[in-house]
Amino acid sequence: MSEIFAEARNVSKRFTHEPDFAERIASKLGAVSTRKVVHALDGVDLTIEKGEVVGLVGESGCGKSTLGRIIAGMIPATEGDVLVKGEKRDSLRGQAAREARLKTQIIFQDPMSSLNPRKRVLDIVGEAPVAHGLIKRGEKRKLVEDLLETVGLDPSMTDRYPHQFSGGQRQRLGIARALAVKPEFLVCDESIAALDISIQAQVINLFMDLRKSFDLTYLFISHDLGVVNHIADRVVIMYLGRVVESGRVEDIFERPNHPYTAALLAEVPSIDKRHRTFTTIKGEIPSPVSPPSGCHFHPRCPHAFERCRIERPALVDLGGRHQSACHLNELPERPDFNMSIQGEGRV
Amino acid sequence: MSNPSETSEIVLEVTDLKTHFATPAGEVKSVDGVSFSVRRGEILGLVGESGSGKSITGFSIIGLVDPPGRNVGGSILFKGEDLLAASEKQLRTLRGNRIAMIFQDPMMTLNPVLSVKTHMVETVLAHESVSRAEALRRSIEALRMVGISQPETRIESYPHEFSGGMRQRVAIAIALLHKPDLIIADEPTTALDVTIQSQILSEVQVLCRELGMGLIWISHDLGVVAGLADRIAVMYAGRIVEQGDVDQILDRPKHPYTAGLIGSAPAANRRGERLTQIRGSAPHPLRRPEGCAFRTRCDFSTDACLQEPTETIGAADYRWRCFNPLGATEATS
Ligand SMILES: Nc1ncnc2c1ncn2[C@@H]1O[C@H](COP(=O)(O)OP(=O)(O)OP(=O)(O)O)[C@@H](O)[C@H]1O
Ligand SMILES: Nc1ncnc2c1ncn2[C@@H]1O[C@H](COP(=O)(O)OP(=O)(O)OP(=O)(O)O)[C@@H](O)[C@H]1O
Ligand code: SF4
Ligand code: SF4
Ligand SMILES: [Mg+2]
Ligand SMILES: [Mg+2]
Repeated sequence: MSEIFAEARNVSKRFTHEPDFAERIASKLGAVSTRKVVHALDGVDLTIEKGEVVGLVGESGCGKSTLGRIIAGMIPATEGDVLVKGEKRDSLRGQAAREARLKTQIIFQDPMSSLNPRKRVLDIVGEAPVAHGLIKRGEKRKLVEDLLETVGLDPSMTDRYPHQFSGGQRQRLGIARALAVKPEFLVCDESIAALDISIQAQVINLFMDLRKSFDLTYLFISHDLGVVNHIADRVVIMYLGRVVESGRVEDIFERPNHPYTAALLAEVPSIDKRHRTFTTIKGEIPSPVSPPSGCHFHPRCPHAFERCRIERPALVDLGGRHQSACHLNELPERPDFNMSIQGEGRV
Repeated sequence: MSNPSETSEIVLEVTDLKTHFATPAGEVKSVDGVSFSVRRGEILGLVGESGSGKSITGFSIIGLVDPPGRNVGGSILFKGEDLLAASEKQLRTLRGNRIAMIFQDPMMTLNPVLSVKTHMVETVLAHESVSRAEALRRSIEALRMVGISQPETRIESYPHEFSGGMRQRVAIAIALLHKPDLIIADEPTTALDVTIQSQILSEVQVLCRELGMGLIWISHDLGVVAGLADRIAVMYAGRIVEQGDVDQILDRPKHPYTAGLIGSAPAANRRGERLTQIRGSAPHPLRRPEGCAFRTRCDFSTDACLQEPTETIGAADYRWRCFNPLGATEATS
């Protein structure tokens, strides 16, 4: 068995909405507490092997970025552990902790909120490698120019500020900045979503080349199932804070087990599907503030039965590293899955 | 406006639009002679190279180009009214009310220190004289439409308490509040899962088909554009290089750049293999090649391409700019 690089064990994360002044007064006066807790992650297990590309897919708000941030050590988990190369992330101290943080780089979803608007590209990309002693100050410009070239930007843009770039160009600045510190592990959070297809192709090829030449490990968060299908070895599907299915890319795309996975695959846009009538979602979209009981997917699931409303389905092994959390797997006969769960078109 | 029946069909008509940025290094010609129109109920997919001027085209229409950017030519007629000649006050009333834009980065719409409720209620009140309660009711309804659950409570949240995709849906809900005549949507669903994306696409489709809203959908996802748009315009280096009916563009592109785009999508390649790339990289906006800007990356260039290709207009308002347009056989390779 290959070496496990990073691992999340039973990780949960809750965010508490702090009550504002008026709400605090109201609760002092005996009103019902308005403290809202968002269950962003609820007992998530995930292993990533060295050199592997794991695609993380799921509904908007299901906790993908939160999981990525926790695995990267940016924010703590409420419960559970994150291990990197067998060591607990939060037990590392001083130099070892800094080292571990540097070796994991995260490329963010909103490039605007992660690039300092008052700094030039030269500093945004070149500061960290100088500060951490990876290069000498005099080598900074050369390094930054090389990195810009690597991500398909003109090296002469080195002295520009972030606002002078287009959305996709800014996204590539984030990639260049992450690569500057020679990471071992990249968490890519929708990092190619804003790129046009021809540049997306360049960046995907770049990721695949880097993986070969530096043995990089990736957690690749994306809504673009076409891209995930192309580059991931393994795919993990999340729904409302939980992993619902995981497996090798060919199993997930060719033999999906979970009804949510099947629903995603049925909606994938394709250049061959023209003039579609898009449909609304059937059932209520659940909220992470008060997730549905039992299987979180039951209000939208066409196969839900009594047990689904009561009991949380466990993630069970289907063989060959394929896992799924659905009660249907315990029924003697499983229904056919390849159907859309969207409701009727409104037009 | 001598022929009202014809002009009323066209919501937006952009002619030879030029928006340039004066930078210390030189004049960046972000949008350099763009022409297209959008009819009532029509959906135009605007695709193209990163940095080719898609967003700046949108900003120009809605009058939000910041200095050193400025309009240096062309006209933008919105229901016959010239937006480039409109006063700031006129623009402000149109903006958010008759024309709305959904930005690539939702934080351009959302102020981090204001709650979602404040954003939405104030937006309603800015353009309509309704009660605060009515404004709140409408805001909650708009959130529900874009698939935010428990909108009654979640409307109290601040932008940072939402995930990236939820922030984007809030921005979309704000744009839809007034059911505008024209929406410019700049990659609004790239951060959403495909089932929620379909939900939002179905909402905008209803507005287009039932209320005749015109929609410019800027995206690099050819799959979404294929399913949604009536027409596609492809931009490269500040120009539209090809525009026409969806099937024409996707099945029989004439411009080599369009064909290159279609060929580099993962779906057109085998799993795990290197993707086909268009060779070279996008030219620096200050150092675009003379003549056809795609020349240095094009497999079909000839000496003729040292000249600027002009627009050829075919049947069904199909237009392309290329001296050596592809035939049907090469287009699919
Ligand atoms: N700082 C925070 N405070 C409160 N709630 C938060 C915070 N960060 C995230 N959340 C909530 O946690 C949940 C998971 O958010 P997360 O950003 O991980 O989702 P995501 O899967 O990355 O979604 P998307 O695809 O839209 O980016 C969401 O409901 C979000 O509103
Ligand atoms: N403030 C500015 N100063 C100088 N150049 C600018 C400025 N804003 C934009 N540009 C340039 O204008 C060009 C067009 O930018 P625009 O944002 O319209 O691209 P886009 O087609 O939307 O790309 P993307 O798909 O990456 O979002 C880019 O080359 C960009 O670098
Ligand atoms: S456990 Fe029940 S509700 Fe959940 S996905 Fe399976 S069948 Fe559907
Ligand atoms: S005009 Fe010439 S260089 Fe430009 S796309 Fe056509 S063949 Fe290629
Ligand atoms: Mg996210
Ligand atoms: Mg843009």
